[in-house]
Amino acid sequence: MAAPTAAGLCPRLRAWLPRLTQVRWSRYNPSFLEPEVNKELYQKPFNELSEEEKEKQELKAVHPIKAAPPSISSSVFSDPMISKFTNMMMKDGNKVLARSLMAQTLENIKRKQLEKYHRAPDDEKERVECNPYVIFHQALKNCQPIIGLSNITRGGKTYQVPVPLKDNRKRFLAMKWLITECRENKHRRTLMPEKLSEELIQAFNNEGPIIKKKHVLHKMAEANRAYAHFRWW
Amino acid sequence: MAAPVYPAWVGRWISGQWRQRKRPPAVRPTRPLVLANKVANRRELAGEATCLTEMSVMMACWKQNDFNDKSCAEEIRAFYDCVAKAEKERKEKKDEYALSLKGNIPSSKVNRLLRRLSLKTFYGGSTDFSTFS
Repeated sequence: MAAPTAAGLCPRLRAWLPRLTQVRWSRYNPSFLEPEVNKELYQKPFNELSEEEKEKQELKAVHPIKAAPPSISSSVFSDPMISKFTNMMMKDGNKVLARSLMAQTLENIKRKQLEKYHRAPDDEKERVECNPYVIFHQALKNCQPIIGLSNITRGGKTYQVPVPLKDNRKRFLAMKWLITECRENKHRRTLMPEKLSEELIQAFNNEGPIIKKKHVLHKMAEANRAYAHFRWW
Repeated sequence: MAAPVYPAWVGRWISGQWRQRKRPPAVRPTRPLVLANKVANRRELAGEATCLTEMSVMMACWKQNDFNDKSCAEEIRAFYDCVAKAEKERKEKKDEYALSLKGNIPSSKVNRLLRRLSLKTFYGGSTDFSTFS
């Protein structure tokens, strides 16, 4: 059940209850379906569709469809992870700047890897990964923590209990650590694309401060494994 | 002498039902005797932690291999599988009409259903607009 809505309350009371009332919700009727952005699905002839897909198409004929948000696109170059990372880097709604920084980061990664490629001896050339998207995804995967800590209070004392994390939370933590590391712990005058590309390449090779932070979290979880019984889910 | 035959009213008098009827009612209802839209809260058993064995196996592997994820890939995969299974079971249990282990519906779910489906209010109609149907 959703949290109580603030529809009937006056603005002063609504400002006073930020935790108890919904701040962000959708005005769509629940009968509205999500839009399908995948172009390949529409190019398939009707006979080749599987049973589920046929059912979905028939369902779409009777239900209204929500408008597609401007952030998703059906182009081959769009990547939801990269969009999410760009949004997290964005400050004060300056998407243009965030997107250009992201493009420069990927270009930097490509340049560094190409340099490494041309410097490497012939037998090692195949092992150098030049695709910046592959490096980005692998680096994020390497940075994701496997287990997290959550505060649980028992008998007045709060314990840090090791807890499995959801996929969304893992991805968010990896991206957040990357961005905060680049913003805070680097020299003031280095540009963001430079710092980010350096961090991403290091994370791709399983080294660097973010991987260390992940290991510290794992070590703390391992140290507190006796409290794992405090979980009730 | 034969057994004495008394008139019928004597029997009713002796049974004391007049005395019972003439007394004031033992319980006077403080609120109107109407069923409310909710059930009393019953304390549900707290669950247990899931996937503890997989977690301990994975941590032992970490300790041996100095927290290297590549060498513990098998254990990590087993842990993820266990977590996914536990999450699925929890989602099924959370479903609105799902019964608990013993076969009864927990009081919180009963309250939600009553609030949505029961139509009684002072002016008629239900007041719960927060749940969509």
